[in-house]
Amino acid sequence: MELNLNKHISGQFNDELEQVLSHVLEMGGLVENQLKDALDAITNMDSSLADHVIATDEKVNSYETVIDEECTRIIAKRQPAAIDLRLVLAIAKTIADLERIGDELCRIVKATRDKYNNDQKQFLVDLDHMGRKVLIMLSKVLNAFARMDCDEAFEVYQMDKKIDKTYESITRELMTYMMEDPRAIPKVMDVMWATRSLERIGDRCQNISEHVIYFIKGKDVRHFNREQIQATLENN
Amino acid sequence: MISVAPDIAKVTNAIDPSELTPELTALEMKNLSLHYGSKQALYNIDMKIPKGKVTAFIGPSGCGKSTLLRCINRMNDLVDICRVDGAIELEGKNIYDKDVDVASLRQNVGMVFQRPNPFPKSIYENVVYGLRIQGNNDKRILDETVEKSLRKAALWDEVKDRLHDSAFGLSGGQQQRLVIARAIAIEPKVLLLDEPTSALDPISTLTIEELINDLKEAYTVVIVTHNMQQAARVSNYAAFMFMGELIEYSDTNKLFTAPSIKKTEDYITGRYG
Repeated sequence: MELNLNKHISGQFNDELEQVLSHVLEMGGLVENQLKDALDAITNMDSSLADHVIATDEKVNSYETVIDEECTRIIAKRQPAAIDLRLVLAIAKTIADLERIGDELCRIVKATRDKYNNDQKQFLVDLDHMGRKVLIMLSKVLNAFARMDCDEAFEVYQMDKKIDKTYESITRELMTYMMEDPRAIPKVMDVMWATRSLERIGDRCQNISEHVIYFIKGKDVRHFNREQIQATLENN
Repeated sequence: MISVAPDIAKVTNAIDPSELTPELTALEMKNLSLHYGSKQALYNIDMKIPKGKVTAFIGPSGCGKSTLLRCINRMNDLVDICRVDGAIELEGKNIYDKDVDVASLRQNVGMVFQRPNPFPKSIYENVVYGLRIQGNNDKRILDETVEKSLRKAALWDEVKDRLHDSAFGLSGGQQQRLVIARAIAIEPKVLLLDEPTSALDPISTLTIEELINDLKEAYTVVIVTHNMQQAARVSNYAAFMFMGELIEYSDTNKLFTAPSIKKTEDYITGRYG
């Protein structure tokens, strides 16, 4: 979809929208890298990379503050309407979700760093596997946002179901480990929490896909089921 | 206390103007076209104006919004080269029928213009002007009407002690409210406002906007405005016009958040098409 951000009669308004949008994409890129690093830190048991993930979160937080400020200024000064208004609202909600993804990542690396020896690496294999799927979801939703692509957003929306399934099966597997060796329970529980955080990141990506659909179609599809969203996309 | 979740349908789903029933419709334009000489200014307008609501016409200069507004009380009759085809029905009766008395039509359809135009008389005489023309000179009725109209126009408290002073002593915003009081003194059904605040300062503008909101309880209000934010603030329904055509007409919330037509969106977001 063509955004026509540069088509306003007011050149200043064009610049402000373009700037806030580019900040969102930078923030998205930062969180995407943060997720990649978190997964690598877990798999390679690399605690300095884990520190880097935690340090990155501060940057993510400052992006959120700056972008919020930019949105507030645009609303106050430009009184955006229609597609511009929806863009500003979608941005404000998206950055809140991105910021929370950053928080979940910190939680994941804090829960898993410096805890596992080589024999216990098996606990982490599926976590990494699920994390890679969530990473694809995050990359895709950020692409959908950048290109304002409803179809890609809808794909992401549907991916969340698979993430939920993976989460369930990992939970079952971790419970088996706990039953086999009760001494491992504290460590397995930490992996369980980390898996739970990844599942929440999937939900956040799904939220962002809903913001993209709202922005493009002007329809609030939160709390719609898959069929209702599909019908909405086809009707417009 | 039991709390009930708000119903989103009530927040978002106003009746689509095309689905208004006759009881809810104040005015209906049917295939309305207008020519100034050989130049066509309005093209086949079909629309229903809801009763007891504020409807705004928006669009760029020269799009025909003022022309359309003037059709509603036949102001265009004064232009020799103007020809109107189609119909405007006020309570089921076409106001362009031959048997319609224009003076009585204008009693039912009052109008307020861009620049306040009080008569060179006292505040009191301005308000009762319409009644006197109707032959009503009963002082008690006139006094009552003056107070009632000025109260409705949110001007009473400011002028009650100087009703017999010249209307020209009032500020621009007060003059405009006086003109509105004069228009509602004869109890019209419809009130037409042609850019009523474009000559006023921001505070007077807000006072008039507040007044418009109050007036819709008793009258159907149709407003033409260049100020899109004003249309968004005061109206319940909004119609976007472009080059004499009605492009999109829907409830104001929808028009300003998710318009269905690209041309509307370009206009209200300040894009060139």
